[in-house]
Amino acid sequence: MTHISHDPDAAPEPASGSGAVPRPRRRLSEDWIATALGLILLTLVLTGVLADGLVP
Amino acid sequence: MSAGDATALDSTSPGTGPRAGQPDARVPDARVPVEAPTPPPSVAWTVAGLLLMVLLAALTRFLELNVPVWTEGTPLARIAKPVEFPVYAIALGLLGNAVLVATNLKDKVAAAFRTELFIKTGVVLLGASVNLSLIVTAAVPAIVQALVLISSVFLFTWWVGGKLGLDDKLRALLSSAVSICGVSAAISAAGAVQAKREQLAYAASLVIVFALPSIFVLPWLVDLLGLSPAVAGAWIGGNIDTTAAVAAAGTLAGEDALALATIVKSTQNALIGVVAIALTAYFAFKVERRPDAAAPGVGELWRRFPKFVLGFLAASVIGTLYLAQVGSDVGKPVITVANDLRTLFFILAFVSIGLELRVKALRAAGWRPVAVFGLATVFNLVVGLALASVLFAGFEL
Repeated sequence: MTHISHDPDAAPEPASGSGAVPRPRRRLSEDWIATALGLILLTLVLTGVLADGLVP
Repeated sequence: MSAGDATALDSTSPGTGPRAGQPDARVPDARVPVEAPTPPPSVAWTVAGLLLMVLLAALTRFLELNVPVWTEGTPLARIAKPVEFPVYAIALGLLGNAVLVATNLKDKVAAAFRTELFIKTGVVLLGASVNLSLIVTAAVPAIVQALVLISSVFLFTWWVGGKLGLDDKLRALLSSAVSICGVSAAISAAGAVQAKREQLAYAASLVIVFALPSIFVLPWLVDLLGLSPAVAGAWIGGNIDTTAAVAAAGTLAGEDALALATIVKSTQNALIGVVAIALTAYFAFKVERRPDAAAPGVGELWRRFPKFVLGFLAASVIGTLYLAQVGSDVGKPVITVANDLRTLFFILAFVSIGLELRVKALRAAGWRPVAVFGLATVFNLVVGLALASVLFAGFEL
């Protein structure tokens, strides 16, 4: 648990030297990653690429 | 869970936190310790953590399918039958947690525990099975419930925190966490009021410790009170603090309750930005009396808006249009495959919840914050039930 993310339900990093909660590092938001991943998977399902039986 | 966020105002506003080793002039007793930076996680250990999660997820599925069969015809059958995958997933996660702590491996593999990524992806996939018309009709009562519940619970928690002598910043964190949506709200509030990391860690731990039992208690209360799926979903979504726990409790309460709980929770999540802006302004201008402080902009609302809610909405649009296009007979079996994928991501998220739980931070701050959070949770339950019963009575799912 080292990086900072803009995530609901996320526990913070251990205390840093400044004491105050720091500014987030620039990185692709996990929200957008989840959105993209979810919609890509949905597309694969609706187009038949991911069919019943392939999903564990 | 991966570490939390903070508002961009932290480093640009006046009165940003002190340098390491220096006293914090804003808080006389807060001499800040210097700590070594955390090393980045090793890829090999992260992969090991992911494999562990996949193994526990597979075991969850195995138990869910086979325990009812094994216990059939025995006295345990009555208990085993209604136990669903969230229970097995969290239990296995907690077991894994204990083993990892005992073997001193937890910190090495923790980077793999991506609860938020799994739950958000699952929520996006859930959108495909939620008809857009449901979201449209539920929007108004969900927004009304969110506004009334957030305001009343926030102010109650703030008041109780004051009566029990909590520091203003911790009051802000706890009030945000219990009234809006758990850890993300605490993180937003922490940035807004420039709270100490230790206070945020404490608030975050409290959220998780209270959310875990609520996964099982609320569905049980729903059964006991004989609530309709709509009222159950609205109550669960408005009460439980974390999105993952809402998904778990909603799953236990039924598919219809899960859909509405997700809509209500998403509506509350979306209001984080509004509260963060209000807190920033209040602390800058009133508490710390910094008239030169930069006023928070409207752009902050977008920055804090939980973007995965857009994915949920998009999936609902796609699912609704797909079913309209191909018809229910062809479309529903396909949507069921998406639901199976959603369940897989939810299982991973619930396993991760169990694996990640840390109670160390709770020991630090004493009984008062626990008492505040507990009282606020009960208040939230009562007011939430009243609101859900009024706003969602007769709501057709």
